[in-house]
Amino acid sequence: MKIIGLADQDVEANLRGAGIGMSVAEARSIAEILGRDPTLTELFCYDAMWSEHCSYKSSRATLKEFLPTEGPNVVMGPVEDSGIVAIDDQWCVVISHESHNHPSQILPNEGAATGIGGIVRDVNCMGATVVASADPLRFGDPYGPKASKVRWVAEGVVDGIWQYGNALGVPNMGGDIVFNESFDDNCLVNVVSIGIVRRDQIIRSRAPQGAGEKGYDVILVGKPTDSSGLGGVTFASEALRAEDEEANRGAVQIPDPFLKNVLFKANDDLFRLVRESGIVIGFKDLGGGGFTCATSEMGASGNYGMEINLDDMHKAADFPPEILSIAETQERFLIVSPPELRERILQIYNQHWDLPNVYEGARASVVGKINTGDRFRVTHKGVMVCDVPIQHLTGGIRYKREEKPRLRSLAEPVIEEPVDYNQTMLKILGSPNIASREHVYRYYDTEVMGNSVIRPGEADSGLIAPVRGEKFGVALAVDSNPFYGRISPYWAGATAVAEAMRNVAAIGAVPSTLTDCLNFGNPEKPEAFWEFREAVKGIADSCKKIWLKGYPNQPVPIVSGNVSFYNESPEGSVDPSPVVACVGIIKDVGKAVTQNLKAAGDRLFLIGPRFDELGGSEYYRTIFGVTGKNVPLVRFDLDRNMIYAVIEAIDQGLVAACHDISNGGLACTSAEMALVRPARLGFELDLDGAAEPGLRTDKVLFSESAGFLIEARQGCEEKLRAVLEGFSLEAMEVGRVTEARKMVVRRKGKALIDLDLDQARAVWTNGLAEAMR
Amino acid sequence: MKIAVMQFPGTNCEHETLVAVNAVGMKGEIFRWNRPAAELSGFDGFIVPGGFSYQDRVRAGAIASKEPVMDALREEAERGKPIIGICNGFQILVETGLLPGTGKIDMALAQNVMVSGGRVMRRGYYCDWVNLRHDALPKRCSGSFMIDKKAILQIPIAHGEGNLVTTTPGLVDRLKDEDQVVFRYCDPAGQVVNEFPVNVNGSTESIAGICNPEGNVLGMMPHPERAFFAWQLPAYDPRKARPDDPGPGRMVFESMKRFIEVRA
Repeated sequence: MKIIGLADQDVEANLRGAGIGMSVAEARSIAEILGRDPTLTELFCYDAMWSEHCSYKSSRATLKEFLPTEGPNVVMGPVEDSGIVAIDDQWCVVISHESHNHPSQILPNEGAATGIGGIVRDVNCMGATVVASADPLRFGDPYGPKASKVRWVAEGVVDGIWQYGNALGVPNMGGDIVFNESFDDNCLVNVVSIGIVRRDQIIRSRAPQGAGEKGYDVILVGKPTDSSGLGGVTFASEALRAEDEEANRGAVQIPDPFLKNVLFKANDDLFRLVRESGIVIGFKDLGGGGFTCATSEMGASGNYGMEINLDDMHKAADFPPEILSIAETQERFLIVSPPELRERILQIYNQHWDLPNVYEGARASVVGKINTGDRFRVTHKGVMVCDVPIQHLTGGIRYKREEKPRLRSLAEPVIEEPVDYNQTMLKILGSPNIASREHVYRYYDTEVMGNSVIRPGEADSGLIAPVRGEKFGVALAVDSNPFYGRISPYWAGATAVAEAMRNVAAIGAVPSTLTDCLNFGNPEKPEAFWEFREAVKGIADSCKKIWLKGYPNQPVPIVSGNVSFYNESPEGSVDPSPVVACVGIIKDVGKAVTQNLKAAGDRLFLIGPRFDELGGSEYYRTIFGVTGKNVPLVRFDLDRNMIYAVIEAIDQGLVAACHDISNGGLACTSAEMALVRPARLGFELDLDGAAEPGLRTDKVLFSESAGFLIEARQGCEEKLRAVLEGFSLEAMEVGRVTEARKMVVRRKGKALIDLDLDQARAVWTNGLAEAMR
Repeated sequence: MKIAVMQFPGTNCEHETLVAVNAVGMKGEIFRWNRPAAELSGFDGFIVPGGFSYQDRVRAGAIASKEPVMDALREEAERGKPIIGICNGFQILVETGLLPGTGKIDMALAQNVMVSGGRVMRRGYYCDWVNLRHDALPKRCSGSFMIDKKAILQIPIAHGEGNLVTTTPGLVDRLKDEDQVVFRYCDPAGQVVNEFPVNVNGSTESIAGICNPEGNVLGMMPHPERAFFAWQLPAYDPRKARPDDPGPGRMVFESMKRFIEVRA
């Protein structure tokens, strides 16, 4: 394509005419490095590799500046497709976390399904067995002006998730759903996946040492390359506009869990071959940026060059080279391996697992060779269509973005205390953001693999026992509150980390690592970039100040993550959404506790004082329609002490049930402990024990300040008090579990709430189904 | 005692099924669909596990039932060897004509339709723990050989098509008369209530599992391999407090083993 010597407007016209998103300056810099006009294929390759999605060009500096990625348990930080942390001397958890927001807004079913499909590949390609997934989802207002579109998106996304995950055979162990009008035109579909691998069996996504000298093969495996997902990363790096919807559909990839299921089993055989032969290979999934991204990154990270021949690639039709290079066809992997393994690898995929007969055109093909040069060379029908410095292609570019605080006029509302707390309570329990998630998680196979110990709805996090014969369990929880983000992106980030840690602590697991998926608006706008930076600072502070248990002042590390900018439409940007996932480890799954009330007569203890922190709360929003200002803070020392005290108390067997306090405050936390199955017991709470004499009753009940509600095991009350005191915490006895199936709350002898469990349960179980119908 | 755990493209429960088989002292082996079918004669029993074989193309189980290994399995069934189909495995056995055992396809596992009070509450895929009542006599069927009549088992389901329907007149009555109705969905007290959520998928007469007239072939929608250990039980089940105890699904695998021992 002609660039050199043309005026800016002509270069611009040429680029856009070809469907290339890069700036004129970027195109000129490429021509300068190459010393000639780049080919169309080269421009497509650079466009993909230098997209925000692949290169983190706006975000990388900020992430590096703040986020802690190292720690005593880190086996591999955020350098490849997934991060890895140690469980013990032998076993490791592999985790990856991404967004699939834009595709899911355009084609909800396919977008969400390929989100799962991509994230499980990221985990599998480290040599791991994928053992669980989770989906943090954000949808628009289901009762707002765009309700029908919002519900269409929500239903399609949930369908895409279950249809892919269930068929693949990976249990969905958690996630969350929040509805809010800022997502009316931009849903968020984040996907988290975890895997298990033995430390000595990790496979890296880079050309191994010696690969260039010995001329290792580049082998492409899986679905035949087609034109689907064309420009997916570029499209994900722009704001969504309604008039582009038709064109954007072509950028959404096409999922196939069936082929993936077979590929995973074939990959297992590949891993076995590698173990038995003792030969190191490189293995990587093809995701954003397609074939070019996977091949060039694999070569560049080994400091090698490569030669690719697109004629040897298996493909669905005779597509032009630029399409073959960057299409994001799903269900593909890339292997870099020595020639002596070639026949055995091809046999695994093409004969044993019979890919050509399982899926038309699928197979493993040798498509190129690694060399000791420094070029990324691609030929097609005898013509050199790409010949560029490989490190330049993969090195990406950096932008320094401007930041400017977003000014909002925030104030605490002047509100009357409710006259009828029963009605207030029922309204909140039925709100789409509080109601039971059962309507959705019954679509998810939470049982496949037979590892599930605690499943969605049973506690604040899911728990699996992924290795038979080992007692340890891996807990997974996700969190982010967009209403807090609107008030303060910093506290939204800090709370997302603290809350995700509280979630795993509430079952007795020790927070081990975190991932962050940072969903924001257009980073070229200084306010959006400021929100991003604030959230990252909040995340980093919580990681550093609620440190790794047993390692004072060592942060809980962030080993994987993703930045998703441009979540905005002409109507505005999404609320700042730093979504965090936390992996927790429990040494013995038999010790884990769930949130359902266990025995009448058991006493209930509150930890975590109530503060006047209802900014962004469910109470303000649902009852008064306001946001407020006093967003919950993370008191780092207090939070750390609470988290460790709860873990300690559960480990000592003192806890019958535990639930952390978050959306809806103490009122909803206690209610959920009674409403969740089997829903056979009620409770009485006396707020005089909550020790906040100065705080108005509605604020005591609905403040979302951090805390836990614990049902003590009978006879263990004093030991529990002692454990809490050991962490400088006050054990506030606030009530007891009752045989009567009622929820009763009193203050100063006066009954405020007195609700029949079945009546409350009907409202709570229907709230989400009604919002999604 | 060698058990082949069948594996088709899209099967996804073979590994946990293998764990269950081995845990009761049988020797399991995963058997890939494109291995020579003749090798199946060397096994003493067979499990067709759950999943989405061939992507549920045409109908769930329809393509897998046409594989050569299924012809071989039909021959092994005629020799009296036990075959248990779980979830998609049940669907495959129905498509093969091995169940209900008339040699024809005269029933189907249709899409779930959850009906309560005359209203359709929901359709399609559903995952939950259910109560199963064992309605056959002990020793009637390979996979429930050791289970007492009216015993209640807590086992999870996870399927979109488990709604047993038939247009063959008198077929369901014949299954009942011949004691071929092995499992029914019931409430915790063992009462069959033909309404959602007790009848979780709309299945005719709440049927969850049936056997062939000879009793060696069993098909069931719920997944006993996922309820093999007490730690797998849901939070509200008090038996979870003793995590190392056997779970309710274990009896299905113990039964298979006993059935083979008694036959030998």
